[in-house]
Amino acid sequence: MAEAAVDEDVLALRERFLGREFDEVTFVINGDRFAEYAKVCGETAPRFTDPAHPDFQAPPTFVSTLVGGRSMPPDFPNLGGMGMDAGKGVEWKAPVRAGAKLTGKSHLHDIYTKTGRSGRMVFLVTRMELRDENGVHVANADTRTVIRERIKK
Amino acid sequence: MSGKTVSAIADVEFGAQLPSFTPDTSIAATRRFGRHVGWNTPRFTDHEGARKEGLPGAIVPGVMSQGFLGAMIHRWAPDAEIVAIDTVFRAPVLVDRPHTITGVVTDVDEDAGTVEIDITVANEAGETRVFGTATARLSKD
Repeated sequence: MAEAAVDEDVLALRERFLGREFDEVTFVINGDRFAEYAKVCGETAPRFTDPAHPDFQAPPTFVSTLVGGRSMPPDFPNLGGMGMDAGKGVEWKAPVRAGAKLTGKSHLHDIYTKTGRSGRMVFLVTRMELRDENGVHVANADTRTVIRERIKK
Repeated sequence: MSGKTVSAIADVEFGAQLPSFTPDTSIAATRRFGRHVGWNTPRFTDHEGARKEGLPGAIVPGVMSQGFLGAMIHRWAPDAEIVAIDTVFRAPVLVDRPHTITGVVTDVDEDAGTVEIDITVANEAGETRVFGTATARLSKD
């Protein structure tokens, strides 16, 4: 299958920014917080809701709540439109337990475009890789931001 | 398959529908989410405040909608490990409006012990607000 053409400006952004780490944050995981998250979201499995359960752990999607600080490299250019949250993704690799100290390192994982009747939309996927104190990779948390470009007159 | 839970990959058939799930999208729920998890701003916890931002009313945080999808899978397969989940926010999920989540199995890999699931959050008009795809691992025994 032929690869879709990529706009030159997007190619330049990809070359400049993809894979370049731009942020690092540490978290101490609060079991009460993720148990509340689980209950409000409708989880009923005790391993997510009951701190006394022997396998007590965060629901896989909980790591999406850790994202929210810097989501773009500080030198990323202003594309001229308003950014909106277009989606979240999680790759789960190992349980996240109460009290765990995690380090999240962020980079731009993908940049692509879609063009419709209202113009071009640029999608930016920011990935936070989360590792525990032993360096075990426990999860990736992706945030997809869409920027609808202003039509140039 | 309504109401039935599964525990092993052999229990799952291609095309099977997961039991539908009605998430709690009440203002009480988003306020509780705001107090304990985050996103405690008027856009999510106060209809009037959200209207001042140009929204039709308070909306459910995207991370909470994503949590609904995970909960739905665990209600169907309580011991499943969700190894990947991708969520697309197509339109706001309005607070205090009924929504229904449906899911369907789109692939079964018995060797890997994994299933692929498409999940949709729809409003009372049947309009898709959130769409997700997930990969879940189940016991091979």
